[in-house]
Amino acid sequence: MKQVLSILIPVLIGMGSLALNSCKPKYEKPETSAGELNATRFVMIGGSHTSGYMDDALYYEGQQYSIANLLSGQLQKVGSGAFYQAYMPDNSVGVNGQGMSRLKLGYKTDCLGVTSLSPVRLASGGDVAALGANVYNASQPFGNFGIPGMTVTAVSIPSYGIANPFYGRMSSSMSASVLGDATASDPTCFALFLGIEDMLPYVQGGAKNGTMTNTANFSMAYEQIVQSLTVNGAKGVVSLIPDITEMPYFTTIPYNGLNLTPDKAASLNAIYNPIGISFQEGPNGFMIQDPLAGAFGVRHMVAGELVLLSTPLDSVKCHSMGSVFPFRDEFVLTLDELAIIRAQIAEYNAAITAIATTYNLALAKPNELVNKLQAGIVYNGVTLSAKFVSGGAYSLDGLHFNPRGNAIISNEFIRALNSKYGAKIPAINAVNYPSVIFP
Amino acid sequence: MQKLVLLFFSLSAVISIYSQGFQVNFQGQKQQGMGLAGTALSEDASALFYNPGGVAFVKKNEINAGFSPIFANTLFVDSASGEGYRTKSPMGTPFSAYALFGFKKMESLKVGLAVYTPFGSTIQYEDEWIGRFALTKLSLKSIYFQPTVSYKINEHFGFGAGFIIATGAVDLQKDIPVQFADGTYGHAELTGKALGFGYNLGLNAKINEHFSLGLTYRSKVSMEVKEGDAKFTVPESLSANFPNGPFTSSLPLPSVLTLGGSYNSGKKWQFVLDINYVGWKAYDTLAFDYESNTASLIDTKSARKYKDIIAFRGGANFQASGMIAVRLGGGFGFSPVQSGYVTPESPDGNRIYGTAGLGFKFNEHFNADLSFYYTYIKRTDRNQETNLQGTFTTIAISPGIGLSYKW
Repeated sequence: MKQVLSILIPVLIGMGSLALNSCKPKYEKPETSAGELNATRFVMIGGSHTSGYMDDALYYEGQQYSIANLLSGQLQKVGSGAFYQAYMPDNSVGVNGQGMSRLKLGYKTDCLGVTSLSPVRLASGGDVAALGANVYNASQPFGNFGIPGMTVTAVSIPSYGIANPFYGRMSSSMSASVLGDATASDPTCFALFLGIEDMLPYVQGGAKNGTMTNTANFSMAYEQIVQSLTVNGAKGVVSLIPDITEMPYFTTIPYNGLNLTPDKAASLNAIYNPIGISFQEGPNGFMIQDPLAGAFGVRHMVAGELVLLSTPLDSVKCHSMGSVFPFRDEFVLTLDELAIIRAQIAEYNAAITAIATTYNLALAKPNELVNKLQAGIVYNGVTLSAKFVSGGAYSLDGLHFNPRGNAIISNEFIRALNSKYGAKIPAINAVNYPSVIFP
Repeated sequence: MQKLVLLFFSLSAVISIYSQGFQVNFQGQKQQGMGLAGTALSEDASALFYNPGGVAFVKKNEINAGFSPIFANTLFVDSASGEGYRTKSPMGTPFSAYALFGFKKMESLKVGLAVYTPFGSTIQYEDEWIGRFALTKLSLKSIYFQPTVSYKINEHFGFGAGFIIATGAVDLQKDIPVQFADGTYGHAELTGKALGFGYNLGLNAKINEHFSLGLTYRSKVSMEVKEGDAKFTVPESLSANFPNGPFTSSLPLPSVLTLGGSYNSGKKWQFVLDINYVGWKAYDTLAFDYESNTASLIDTKSARKYKDIIAFRGGANFQASGMIAVRLGGGFGFSPVQSGYVTPESPDGNRIYGTAGLGFKFNEHFNADLSFYYTYIKRTDRNQETNLQGTFTTIAISPGIGLSYKW
């Protein structure tokens, strides 16, 4: 018995302590490397999508999750230095080009008395004062030159800050150009996400007013930017432009959202049958103005055509907009307009691809991801799609990504850098980034 | 006998169980020291689990209880970001308890009751881990109650059969990707109790004084959750989209066919070998059927597509003295989880394990056994449903203790 106990007791004690210090698998940090890239000093130039603009305004939290800042965060894991952005005040309600505040998700009661979740402005007015206050600091040169509204052709224009206050508030001087400021700190590595702004105002306005930058000017200006950035041997990534008409701003309201009861259909038929247009019970294409459509210049929308989110929905629901009163041109994109827009995107992308080849740069393709978001992707157990609000990738304006969306777009840039330069820059874990906040 | 019933009752009330997409063969500390093999043995009451056919050859009445706390740690390394996340699973507590009786007037007949925990797991990941929208915690518990009859046909053959009443409980939790104003996420918790039935059949053949063979079949048990309780914590504006309410589900616990052999040198050495064929193919789909569906809350059917697998287990017992036995063993099991289907709930891979044990015979009535189990599992995969991609590494250890009283 003694013999047994003399073995039993130490064995029991040994097993107990082993169990308490229970062995854990060892975490070995995967190797990271900049490859052929020198990540020391990183700058990014782009438009609103680069700046951190989201929920239809530039504001502090959005800027924290800007594509430029997210990319810099990953590059800092392979030797990149401190990164500075022209932050809005941290308690600011944000501001957009029309002086309005950011959107949040709240409740809105429509003309029928139905209250539902809807984007609403955070405040009655935007932080216009912040737009007028210059935050340039020579000792902390900015790395994020994402400027809402900046076209490719505007990047090297001197005194651009006078025309565009989003640059004016961060420019080094009244006469400065974005390209001058961006190259002043001798970047060793760069990212360009330019071109969306060359078409966005036109497309967002229903292809009614203004134009898109013509391809020759676009190409020339783009190449000049790349030349200036690479003159000292800097390497970087340029990005193709996504088809913005695949974004929720354009895809949320269906072309045939005119759902009619038999009575409604009959009363519309009474109005329209004389000019050869008829309606039926159930879904019908909205009525739009189209100068090319017969003698009266009105017609049904057809499959593939897009109704914009700027459409006043109360007018649709209660005041017969889109039926008795056809949509004005500014609220829709017709097949003809879409063909022109998509052809222009293809031309921009051909120009960017050619420049990437000539200057031996990495080429990011976030356009492929934007395209996939239409059907939806599953990312680490989360479904992300272009569905307005609930899709989880776009902010409440339906045109700019939310922080999680910016993270998956940034991963496309990282993928391009890794494959071009043999780098091992870790991707971002996008589920760690906020999506849409629900009340 | 009344005391016995009480003992079982208190054990089952406090004890849960553990495994990872795999059966827990922690049933009898002697076998646990010898690589979890022992289907051909008929030495003690643990034969009620290992081979009801061997029960008839056990010479004495016996009460036998064992407990093997499992300490398991899983590390997941996300392949895209390189970030690592760990589990904080609670200690698993598989147990087994056996009672075996013979009759003076009918020596070839034995009856017994086995209460044990052959399947189950509790796995809980650290907060805010990358897969939290796939799973944050899964606790599966099952306890089998198996009344058994065993009959010795002659000196060479024994046959036994047990009826299995399986009770179980499930608790599945994950985050929902909708955010509160403070940035935290919605959460879903599905809980339910399950019930299932099955049987355990066994044949034991004593070829001669050295060799024995065993063949057993434990049937599949379909654990049905008939009235689960789904609870959702979401922002107020979405509460109508995620109604709390009942759900139904079911989980198959697979059949196990085992062929085992043993060799006894006479005095000092004993060797055992088991081959399991586990019918995991039964686990094809994990489905949840919610009583009230909404656009956000639809019934789910997740493909699991497990495949049948084979596992090899073997070990040796060395009788060092009249009182002390030393045991060593090990095994290899193929994973039932196919590529593309590895989930955080069951981060399974092919596994190799080793075991060791000590046996103490205090007197002719009272025995104590100690065992130790170690396993290491590594699996890299991209799940087709969630696109979670990375490497799961699991280390599990289990020290066990068992006591038996024979008369």
